[in-house]
Amino acid sequence: MTATVGYLAILVAALSSVGIIIQGFRGMRNPELARAEKLQWPIYGMVGGALLAMIALEVGILTDDFSIAYIANNSATTTPFIFKVSSAWAALEGSIILWGLVLAVFVYTVYRGFSKRSEPDRLGAGALAVMGIVALYFFVLMATVSNPFAVCVQPASIGCLEATHWPWADSLAALEGRGPNPLLQNHILMAVHPPMLYVGYVGMTVPFAFAMAALMLGASGTEWLRRTRTWTLIAWGFLTAGIVLGGLWSYEVLGWGGYWAWDPVENASFMPWLIATAFLHSSVVQERRGMLQAWNFVLVIATFAMTILGTFLTRSGVITSVHSFTQSPVGPVLLWFLMVVLVASFGLFAARAHLVASSPRLDSLASREGVFLLNNLLLTVFAFVVLTGTLYPMFVDAFSGSQVGVGRPFFDRMAVPLAFGLLLAMGIGPITPYRSAKPEVVWKRIKTPLRVALGAAALAVILGYRTPWLVLFILASFFVMSVIIRNLFVTSQTVAEKRGMSLPSAALRTMRNDTGYWGGQISHLGVAILALGIAVSANLSVEADITLTPGSTATVAGFDITYVSPFSRQEPTRSVSGAQVEVARNGKVVSELEPRLNQYPTSTQSVATPEVDASWSGDLYLSLKSIDAQQVTLGVFWFPLIWLVWVGGFMAASAVLWSRLVKKPTDDRSTEASASRDG
Amino acid sequence: MANRTRTFGGWAITVVLAVVVVVGLIMGDSAAEDRVNALGSRIKCPVCQGEAIGDSPSETSAAMMEIVKEKVSAGETDAQIIDFFTARYGSGILLDPPFSGSTLLVWLLPALAVVGGIWMILSRRRQPMKTETEHD
Repeated sequence: MTATVGYLAILVAALSSVGIIIQGFRGMRNPELARAEKLQWPIYGMVGGALLAMIALEVGILTDDFSIAYIANNSATTTPFIFKVSSAWAALEGSIILWGLVLAVFVYTVYRGFSKRSEPDRLGAGALAVMGIVALYFFVLMATVSNPFAVCVQPASIGCLEATHWPWADSLAALEGRGPNPLLQNHILMAVHPPMLYVGYVGMTVPFAFAMAALMLGASGTEWLRRTRTWTLIAWGFLTAGIVLGGLWSYEVLGWGGYWAWDPVENASFMPWLIATAFLHSSVVQERRGMLQAWNFVLVIATFAMTILGTFLTRSGVITSVHSFTQSPVGPVLLWFLMVVLVASFGLFAARAHLVASSPRLDSLASREGVFLLNNLLLTVFAFVVLTGTLYPMFVDAFSGSQVGVGRPFFDRMAVPLAFGLLLAMGIGPITPYRSAKPEVVWKRIKTPLRVALGAAALAVILGYRTPWLVLFILASFFVMSVIIRNLFVTSQTVAEKRGMSLPSAALRTMRNDTGYWGGQISHLGVAILALGIAVSANLSVEADITLTPGSTATVAGFDITYVSPFSRQEPTRSVSGAQVEVARNGKVVSELEPRLNQYPTSTQSVATPEVDASWSGDLYLSLKSIDAQQVTLGVFWFPLIWLVWVGGFMAASAVLWSRLVKKPTDDRSTEASASRDG
Repeated sequence: MANRTRTFGGWAITVVLAVVVVVGLIMGDSAAEDRVNALGSRIKCPVCQGEAIGDSPSETSAAMMEIVKEKVSAGETDAQIIDFFTARYGSGILLDPPFSGSTLLVWLLPALAVVGGIWMILSRRRQPMKTETEHD
């Protein structure tokens, strides 16, 4: 029953997408038809269908309906409530439903904007049609090769062995399901991290759809950029938060003592982020100076293609094992879709670019535009490096059959100088005027931040921290931070004098006056803090494996670590065994930690849960490597100031809120806004 | 006069700080590097999915890390240790692709991208001879 309802809901959503495509394109061609009532029912049908399908899957999971193969293989009666809910998107088929639902919500918000416009909106109608095509693809995927409501025809004692696509076939249900992958039910972050990434990925469809519509209409100018700015920022904010949460999850759950391993799945989320970040910056140049019109189309197409590529890489299994390629039915279908997207959108771009892209040229490289170009160069090269590094082993294997590895050492070596260059551009950008920069103006603005940054780096050198990259990153991140703070200070001072306000309220006023600019600056502040955190925690970390018998002590990074005793306990969903560990510093006990291994009944592998003693000076991180009756082996890590990574990352992501939610002061005068941009 | 003293003072501070930083960078202490962990991050765990032996909790990785430790304390060079593992497991065991052979391209392509990008930017600059009307 649940399966039938869910499957029919998917069909309704797919049919409604066809309606959106037809009505959208008709509206785009003929302004008479570009009206909200023409699109109303297909839109409601698609949102309703996607929502109902998601609800049906959740109802099935919560009622332990193991006649549905997906539920039998990804949930169990013993799974805790929150992980039951999240198992709806823990595996391929379910995650595509969530994908479809998020897309439907984005389509609906675009439609709301479309229906509120008084004049005929051909651009909006065309964008809705393009979004309809993307939605149709995903709903057809759900109805065919990746059907979350396939019913089980051959149950195993646990889970389901074979399923059929027809939801009304006679189904057989197993008594118990397999439950989610242990790694996915080990931590609460796994319930929120994927949906955030999906919102980020799917949100990029909106600027892509408007760009395609603008190309089809031959509509030059910045309308498509201005109208999609909010969605682009929302998508970017969620993507950023999703990536940071993913790192936090990796750190808290996987127990290898890191947050980023340049794993293909991580890279798959990082590539669209890099291109989307480049797009956010280059769209500012187009809005302010009319430049880079063609380039913005390229970037928005590339961002969208990267999200599809990312889905393909994570979901098809090509990366972890090249040879499972043919075994996964979704892989080839996603690859075909990627090809179609690339050929169709770049083909359209090639045919129509002359109508929409007639940019004025660059006056001087020493200008704000010049720094934006540097930013775009570095970000796209960065994305290209990640792309080549991720795909290279696959191509070598495909063409020569030999195995090569491209991993963390390669990416680290490439990423560090690129990130350093980006930080420098981030610092120089806000002090460089548009058009052409006079050296004396730049020097006036740069000298104080430069002294602060040199002071911080010199202090590090004097204190004995002399690893070259660490010193350079301290220099660059302090430079970025002090440039931003100086700009705010100088502008607020002018505002305070002119209006007779106190300095803090003048600062708040300045930031509220131009929320777009200052939202970006808050984000930059976050990125600088993040970079400082990465540089310090990576370069000054201490790592050791220690083997202890009960009662014995070892010293790592100034901490005396004493193994007190082993423990084990039975929890409702898992059995836990671990070590009680006492941590002391200078003879004083600072914390008691319990790193442990969790054994889930539905899985043979055990999952380590590290324990962290977090403080302002850093994290002492203990992960249990092995334990038996005589002794325990612990991985001990000391990560100084690692909280900067999380604080900086979430600050960068949530800066989007400032630029979109904060209201301008009511008696705004636009002169102040532009003063803060150029000051 | 006081103004000039201040300017001079500011310059002097900037120069002194810059000298300290530059000297610190030149004296950089990369010698204290942990060779065992550095090698551990360059060798792939053969039974895992893309994890380095230094990161993976598996027994195979632990055993391979022991070999690395022994060889480092026996005084073997990084190249010797890497050769030992590639001879046994093939060059696919390396996470750090060598700057030669079939992985040369993965190093060269990014460099090409940088050159192409710079060329694109420079070719977009306004030609001094040509004048265009500008519309903001």
